Order: sequence, then structure tokens, then C-alpha cells
Amino acid sequence: MLSKELRRGLVSIFAGLALWEILTRLLLENELLIPPPSSVLRTLWELGATGQLNKHLLATLFEFVCGFSTACVVGILFGYFMGRYKWFDDVMDPWIATLYSIPVVAFVPFIIIWFGIGMVSKVIVVFKITAVAIMLNTAAGIKNIDPTWLELSKSLRLNPRQNTFKIRLPAALPYIVTGMRLGVGRAMLGVIVAELMAANAGLGYLLRDASETWDSPKLFVTVLLLAGMGMGSFTLIKKAEQKLAPWRETAEW
Amino acid sequence: MQASYKNIAWTMLKPISIFSGLVLWHALATHVVNDATLLVSPLVVIAKAYEMLFVTADLYPHLYASSWIFLQGMVLATVVGVPIGFLMALSPAVRDYVNPWMTALYTTPRIAFAPVILLWLGIDLAAKVIIVFLGCVFPILINSFYGMRVVSREFVEVGRSFRLSRGSLFMKILLPASVPFILAGLRLAVGRGLTGVAIAEWFGATEGLGYLIFFAGQTLNLPILFVGVAVFAILGILGFQLLRVIEDLASPWRKELLVK
Repeated sequence: MLSKELRRGLVSIFAGLALWEILTRLLLENELLIPPPSSVLRTLWELGATGQLNKHLLATLFEFVCGFSTACVVGILFGYFMGRYKWFDDVMDPWIATLYSIPVVAFVPFIIIWFGIGMVSKVIVVFKITAVAIMLNTAAGIKNIDPTWLELSKSLRLNPRQNTFKIRLPAALPYIVTGMRLGVGRAMLGVIVAELMAANAGLGYLLRDASETWDSPKLFVTVLLLAGMGMGSFTLIKKAEQKLAPWRETAEW
Repeated sequence: MQASYKNIAWTMLKPISIFSGLVLWHALATHVVNDATLLVSPLVVIAKAYEMLFVTADLYPHLYASSWIFLQGMVLATVVGVPIGFLMALSPAVRDYVNPWMTALYTTPRIAFAPVILLWLGIDLAAKVIIVFLGCVFPILINSFYGMRVVSREFVEVGRSFRLSRGSLFMKILLPASVPFILAGLRLAVGRGLTGVAIAEWFGATEGLGYLIFFAGQTLNLPILFVGVAVFAILGILGFQLLRVIEDLASPWRKELLVK
């Protein structure tokens, strides 16, 4: 038995799709403006069968994973030191804050000028966006550690290594995951923007290709894939957040 | 005495970091890279900014066009987002039916919608405003939702014991209690709205800060590119701070609570 909430959600989605299908079939003669869901699905199938889908999806995922994983390592490392040592925080803060406040879209042209139109520039875009978000949140987590835990660490005479890995980092973990969640959404935007601007593979490229050739079923397929990617990564991170920090109420969206 | 010297050293650390970073940037640009299409010195950027602001004054039309789109998008997002957020908070049925669509729209990278909107509306003002709107509406909606939902039960009970009608319960208690949340949502929306402006102006615009940046990027005109990016950053920071001030003014009791 499904919960009431889930049942209503499913009803809403199916009713919406059915309405979309019926309206587009009845009212529109050509599919240029809004293709019905059935033809979007057919295009999705065709793209999958020709292997095009695989190529673009893998390119974007590869860029994303490379950038994200390096950003996690660097972000946590820098964030840790920013939280631990005030002088380091003071030195880094003006630059990190500036980087953080520039809209994602505005610095993509720089990255492309400096690192070319290949995959490297996209990896760097993802890296920059995620690393800054994780850095700021890790630093906040390390700074806001509960002093009783530090006292505990002292009274147990933990050595600095244990102090770092058993007390400070676990305490900052929920903050780190929040940083990752904030980073994911922006990084996804960044990678798509970079691919739109200059690339030869990836979902952003597909989006540009579809919109320039007025191929609206393909355009909608791309939007659908991006929605899937966004929702997938968001749910994954949210699950991780709930698991790592069950005492914190996480955002519903 | 020792301690105060040390304090001065600590507070100087930030400006020193900024200054030495700029010097490093200048050295890198003039001695190492030495290629105006890759990196220019901060001095050149400042000179260009001065020129665009006071000499040729050609920054203003772009600034004006972008602010206009931004403002319209923000206002539309507030007008639409706040009532929907309230409705979702007050009625579980509305929430359950709207939720899946909202999650889908919210988690999809916004740029994916830009080509679709341009397909529907063309490249005129309406399309740009809608793109900005899509960026801003969710933080506002979500914050209104939370604001309305977390209104303390005590407030509502006070209202009930004064036998307020439903209308005045809403106007006198629920609405004022959720104002700080709505303003926090607006604050979050500023950054997303600016990104929306840049995206909107990238696709087929002839003026605006986004246009300026993309034009400069494609013609490798780095001074203008730097100026454009800096203006974006400054606008983001200003908008954020402005809304923080408004937040303090609109809900003075929060600050009092903090002081106590």
C-alpha cells in the first residue's frame, strides 16, 4: 500500500503527462512547439539505439565525476585548514568569497579561454564550483565544533592525528555533505553551460545542437535527461545527508 | 603591548592577502603570460572599468537592460512564488499534487529550459524575464512554504483565543510571522536571478551584462570580460547585503532576540 503522499504524487504526474499528450495531439498540427510525450519517448529510444545518447551522457558524467571527486578532496583539505587556523582563513577568505559570488555563467568564458574547449575545461568548471562550496562549508563545520568534544579528545589524550580523524572531521561531516549538495546543483549548471558554449560532446552540446536545428523532440529528450540527472544526484546526496547526520532536519527539496 | 601588535598583524592579514594576490596577478600578467588574449593586469582592468564608467559611459545601457530584466523577473517570482508556497503550506493536498512537478523543475539545471523558452517565446523581453523568473521562484516559494509551516503554534493559539476570523488570523499572524522567511528566500534568489540574467542574455540579446560577457569572451577582449564579471560579482554582493538590511528592518524582533 502506497502512502497517500506518494499516491497523490503519482496521480499528479500521470494526469499531467496524459493531459500534455491529449492537448498536443488535439490542438497542435506540428510538433515544433511542444512535442507530445510519446514522440519524446520515441526520440529517446532512437537516440539510445544509435549510441548517440551513450556518448553524450558518458561525456557529461565523466566530466562531472572527475571534477566532483577532486573538488571533494581539495575542498575538504583546504576547508579543514581554514577552519583550524585563523591566519589561513584570513588569507583565503577574500579570494574564496569573490569566487563564490561570481555567477557560474560569468566565469565559464575565462575557463574556456584558458583551458580550451575540450573536457579539461569542463572538469575545471565543475571542480571550481564544487570545491568552493565544500571549502566554505567544511570551514564552517570545523569552526562550529562542539567544545565538549574537544575536551573529550583532550581528556582521552588523543594524538593530533586521532584528534583530526576521530573528532574534528566526523563533527564537520554533516556540513561537508551540505556543501556537496549545494555544489552539485551549481556544478551541473556549470558543466552544461560550458558544454553549450564550446564542446563536441555532452548533454549541453546535445541541447545546443537540438535547439539550433529546431529539433524539438530531441530538445525535450535532453531536458528530460538533465532533469533525470539533477533529480538523481539530488536524491543521492539527500539520502547520504540523512544517513550521515540523521539528527539534522534536511531540506525537503 | 605585545598583544596589541599581534592583533594589528592579525587584522592586517586580509588586506595583505588581497594586495599580494593583486601584485602576483599583475606580475603574472605582465612578465609570465604577457599575452593580452590570455590574461591582463588588474591595472588594465581598472583602467577599462574607469573608461566604461566615466569616459565613454558605455557600461550603463548594459547595466540598465540587465537590471530591468532582473527586477521584472524577481517581482514576478515573488508574486507567483509566495502565494503558491502559502497554498502548499496550508493545504496538504495541494502540496502532494504540486510536489513532484516542483522537485523536477527545481533540480533540473535551469539552463536546460532556456532553449525551450526561447522556442516558445522568441528572443524578446518576455523570454528573458521568464528565464530569470525560473531561477528565482524556487527559493522564494520554498522559503514561503517553510515560513508558513513553522509559524509557532502558540501564535496561532493566541489568535484563536482572541477569536480572530480566518482572514485576520492570516493577515495578522501567519503573514507577519513568515515575512522573515520570505525575505531570506529573496536573498537566496538574488544570486540565482543574476545567473538567470546572464543565461537569458546569452541567447540572442543585443545588450545587457550577459551579452557583454559573452561578446567579450568570443572576441577575446579580456579587459571587458573582467569588468563584466566584476560587475556581476558586485551586483550579487550588493543585492545580498541590501536584502539582509531589509530583513533586519522588517523583522526587528529577530535582532532583539539575538541581542538578548
